[in-house]
Amino acid sequence: MISLRGLSKRYGDRLAVDDLSLDLRPGTVTGFLGPNGAGKSTTMRMILGLDRPTTGVALVDGRPYAAYRHPLRKVGALLDARAVHPGRSVRAHLLALARSNGIAPGRVGEVLESVGMEAAAGRRAGALSLGMSQRLGIAAALLGDPEVLMFDEPVNGLDPDGVRWVRHLMRSLADEGRTIFVSSHLMSEMQLTADHLVVIGKGRLIVDAPLAKVIAGSSLSAVLVRSPHAGDLATLLTAAGLRVERTGDNDLVASGATIERVGDLAFDAGVRLHELSTREASLEQAYQELTAGSVEYGARTAGG
Amino acid sequence: MIDLTTAGGLRGAVASEWIKLWSLRSTWWCLVSGAALLGLSALTLGGGTATSLLNDGVRGVTLPAGESVISAVTFAQFAFVTVAMLAVTGEYASGGIRMTLQATPVRGHVLAAKALVLVPVMLVAGVLSGSAAAVAVYLFLSVPPFGGYGALPPAETTIDMLSVGVFLVLVSLMTLGVGTAMRSAAGTLTTAFLLLMGLPLMLAMTGVGPLVSLSLRMPMFAGLAFMDSSDNLTGGPMPYGRVEGLLWLLGWTAVALAAGHAVLRRRDAS
Repeated sequence: MISLRGLSKRYGDRLAVDDLSLDLRPGTVTGFLGPNGAGKSTTMRMILGLDRPTTGVALVDGRPYAAYRHPLRKVGALLDARAVHPGRSVRAHLLALARSNGIAPGRVGEVLESVGMEAAAGRRAGALSLGMSQRLGIAAALLGDPEVLMFDEPVNGLDPDGVRWVRHLMRSLADEGRTIFVSSHLMSEMQLTADHLVVIGKGRLIVDAPLAKVIAGSSLSAVLVRSPHAGDLATLLTAAGLRVERTGDNDLVASGATIERVGDLAFDAGVRLHELSTREASLEQAYQELTAGSVEYGARTAGG
Repeated sequence: MIDLTTAGGLRGAVASEWIKLWSLRSTWWCLVSGAALLGLSALTLGGGTATSLLNDGVRGVTLPAGESVISAVTFAQFAFVTVAMLAVTGEYASGGIRMTLQATPVRGHVLAAKALVLVPVMLVAGVLSGSAAAVAVYLFLSVPPFGGYGALPPAETTIDMLSVGVFLVLVSLMTLGVGTAMRSAAGTLTTAFLLLMGLPLMLAMTGVGPLVSLSLRMPMFAGLAFMDSSDNLTGGPMPYGRVEGLLWLLGWTAVALAAGHAVLRRRDAS
């Protein structure tokens, strides 16, 4: 488990990460979202001991990353796929990493096979496409068979097959009980992959909640109701604390409660329903509502 | 599959750096061109000295080949220290340093591992390329018109070549320290050149007493004193002996490595 406690990072007068406290749990894929410059990469670098926190701590199973003698066997990370010496072969790069952490050299072939790069083992890292570099970065992260895996924008540059492969990989790694922490700008992808979401903006924690809850919390998530007594039902639901909007003589949209609760309220009052359905917000819509106030470099849109 | 009892830490870092060093073509290129440069400079310097003797009609003296090699190291060292420089600046340029520090999070271990790998490599490179250059000079000075000047006294030459190896080890470690502190290749090359040749020569040329004394304690002249060069490129005798030369070299190396270590520990990885 990864625990952040009061984690902050200051660059000059800019607070890149501001008092972040959260726990990442095993067996889940935690999506890490936030606008550009929100502090996602800085947070990941602090977890790995690459950047020193200004205040606070980042712990991996209760110890700082740097306290592990074989850190690659505890935490695997892909931060920047291009950050490999361009003149070194794929195999030599992984072999050097393996030797540094006492990982059997045979493991290099295994991870290359698992990312579909056996044939590219002899190629120089600088000659790889971005997609291949991402695969190499994922291979390096998997090398130590670690309990925790962190990926910063892992699907950048991957083709649709690659994107799907990464999605399945994350799910299966989480299903094996590992802790997966992944940042991405692709909301649709995140909606399919993540169990849990951490959203930050301007370095501050905005949301730390299960994906389903984040989506249900959006004002765009609602229950659609059709009833010959829509007027009575609107009064009833409003009295029960829901936000209700009439969309037609027989139609209304209620938000702020589950579909089960709306059905139960109608049943208790004896109101006849002709349709009861949910309208689910996309993660993208929920995300935009959450981060509307914290887009650091966002272009101001009309009315925005 | 994974043996939890094995290495990691400093030992793992050394094993890793060894693979990293030899998996780059630049390492081979630098060592080969260093050896070539050493041989060519030694031949040029030896031939030059012999030509002067010949023109002055001096006969009956011999030129130990090791002398020419020691003078040539002053020039050829830059090809060798480039290996040390690239070991660290190459990682900052590509961003690979982040992966290195993920694998070996104790920063001192990373610097120590790079240094420990350079020691045997530079020692062997210095002794081998120096010996080859010495033999080449001896053969060159043994044929007409230089016939008779060539000399290759075994004991003296052996000590000379070991000294060349130790000198290359120390200037490489110095460059490693500078590179770790500067992080960029351009800054490292400039600083290393100033330290190893530029500043000592400039200060020596001022003719101002204290500055000349300082220049004679800088790595270039300290190295020539340590290698017991009779022709120290300034014409004058060195004011101190081998041991003091070695101590000055060790001092500069320690300062450079300490500076590199301080920066590596204090600054963020990227």
